[in-house]
Amino acid sequence: MITVWGRTSSVNVMKVLWLLDELGIPFERVEAGGAFGRTRDPDYAAMNPNATVPTLVMPNGFTLWESNSILRYLCRTQAGGNAFYPEAPEARADVERWMDWTLASMNEPMRVLFWTFVRTPEAERDMDAVAKALVAGGRLWRIIEEVALADRPFLAPSGFSIADIALGGFLHRWFALPIERPDLPRLRAWYERLLLRPAYRTHVAVPMT
Amino acid sequence: MTRLRILGKASSINVRKVLWTCAEIGLDYRREDWGSGFASTRDPAFLVLNPNALVPVVEDDNGALWESNTICRYLAAEHGRTDLLPATPRARAEVECWMDWQATALNGAWRHGFMGLVRRDPAFADPAGIAASLRDWAAMWAILDGRLGTTGAHVAGAGFTLADVVLGLSWNRWLMTPVEARPAFPAIDAWYDRLGPRRGFHAHCGNGVP
Repeated sequence: MITVWGRTSSVNVMKVLWLLDELGIPFERVEAGGAFGRTRDPDYAAMNPNATVPTLVMPNGFTLWESNSILRYLCRTQAGGNAFYPEAPEARADVERWMDWTLASMNEPMRVLFWTFVRTPEAERDMDAVAKALVAGGRLWRIIEEVALADRPFLAPSGFSIADIALGGFLHRWFALPIERPDLPRLRAWYERLLLRPAYRTHVAVPMT
Repeated sequence: MTRLRILGKASSINVRKVLWTCAEIGLDYRREDWGSGFASTRDPAFLVLNPNALVPVVEDDNGALWESNTICRYLAAEHGRTDLLPATPRARAEVECWMDWQATALNGAWRHGFMGLVRRDPAFADPAGIAASLRDWAAMWAILDGRLGTTGAHVAGAGFTLADVVLGLSWNRWLMTPVEARPAFPAIDAWYDRLGPRRGFHAHCGNGVP
């Protein structure tokens, strides 16, 4: 059976659990990261030298880290995966560009917002950093509103894909955090569309801890 | 097929990933200078191609594409270069996870130190922030050094791949940054020597540009 190492509160673990459920693949999960520790133990470091979660362990022993790489690997190897990750190079690039964009651009402002409001006591919060992250995040979500969702229901032209899975965790946080948000109706509609998916509600759109 | 159009100044580390990949593939292209010091990426003609106002962008018969790692994978796939980007899922995942690692863990570590020491950006001038960044950056190299000690050859395994392109450029950046106490990374040094003979290395990676 496939094993996923990582605590369920990690946005990167959420992506992998969501995809596995979308594909109907049973898996075993082992707690690691955050309060659960384990990631600096030698046996974990042998699987993932970065001491991060998630780590995927396949039944044949192959291990993989980096959540977006795990999503692509699962789509390539598991039945039904093609539906969420088209094979033609240009269609595939349309999915991947939003996945890389999530890593390169969206990670940082959403990390600041999440850590400030969910994991930092009120008295210690750096509200200047929050103000900057809200500007940066607002500008990025507006790109989703005006470009990615301008003429289609999901991020990639091929339909619901692992691009939606890669960004969907931050999307929930954007709407769940106690922040002021610009009015972006297509973004809201996309969020509501994802909320129709049971696996999103189970693993991603959950209370933030 | 029309000739590939590349938008982005040749000194940008992300543009250089694409240029080196093109050199490896032997791909003909037409490059235009865009980015700070050249034509503004806020120009509407640029924004219509990439709403993020970032270089590089490539354009071919299929349209415009952005995000440098995605571009490199697209070009390798489009030209059937399964040596640069393997077709089997497992070998391919070994390449991709290190490319993602460059975009997340490694990039997050170097930014403060590099912006402060090389770009001399006042927003990144505080010595404590620079020192912390250099420590984080070195910790990332220790991880890569361990990996290269295991493979004994290239980042993803025996053969040269796109993971070597993106991480070769990152290592060149480290070498070009005035770091006072440089830990030893013997496996990385040996690997970087191995990259020297690659097509495009001297033009786009070890070319004296950080």
